[in-house]
Amino acid sequence: MSERISLPTCTSCNRPIAPGEKAVKFYCLNCGQVVIWRCEKCRKFSRDYKCINCGFIGP
Amino acid sequence: MSYKKDYEEKDESGSSEKLVIAQLPERTILATGIRVGTVVKTKYMENFISRTRPDGLHIIDLDKILSRIDIAGRFIARSDIKRTVVCSAREYGKKPVEMFCSLTGAIPMIGRFMPGTFTNPLFAGHIDPELAIVTDPLIDAQVVEEASNIGVPVIAICDTDNVTSNTDLVIPGNNRGRRALAAIFWLLARIVLIHSGALSPDQQLDHSIEDFETKIIEE
Repeated sequence: MSERISLPTCTSCNRPIAPGEKAVKFYCLNCGQVVIWRCEKCRKFSRDYKCINCGFIGP
Repeated sequence: MSYKKDYEEKDESGSSEKLVIAQLPERTILATGIRVGTVVKTKYMENFISRTRPDGLHIIDLDKILSRIDIAGRFIARSDIKRTVVCSAREYGKKPVEMFCSLTGAIPMIGRFMPGTFTNPLFAGHIDPELAIVTDPLIDAQVVEEASNIGVPVIAICDTDNVTSNTDLVIPGNNRGRRALAAIFWLLARIVLIHSGALSPDQQLDHSIEDFETKIIEE
């Protein structure tokens, strides 16, 4: 019997983040309202992320 | 031509009338060399550079430095300060980090960072941090690496020649200067205290930027 699980998606590349991946999650540094997920690759390549609430672009 | 020269001179030293933050003129901040970068520019730091001096030094945008310090201060104030680790392997970063931690209550880690501090639970000095702040992602590479392994956000003070891999917030600024590091940590401590409610925006800190500076002792 299979069960559906919902994986978090990376804010930068929109790819699902697998369990055990060296990802990071934190609340938006500017507004603190939205949870931002960054996958291992996006962190490594320092890809930009954007908050959907306040429009803050990091890193 | 003369106008351009005047403008550049004024821009270099800053205005004594314009206040960057409450009761602190722009000239005082610029005198610390907070925005003076290096001759090397990485693609990660391009957005923070305002211009290049004739001698090749890249100058960082002061407004972006202050806005990033404000954002970082807000984030630090929101997170658990008792589980925030501030690291500096740089000699000139030791005193500013100590002062910042004594004012805010964060954990200072100065000097060599023992590998396994974040990742090895069997290590006697193991810490489970919520946030890591580093003065230079190149010098403090072990901290950045271990923080990325355990999924902890990293705030880094980056110069124009830094690579911002595994960093979640960049505070652009001169991370080599003695006075520049003191100014950055002084501004950061002030913002953290304001957002945590310990200090009002109009109130002055008890300590000055000079108190955050590493003193040079001549023998």
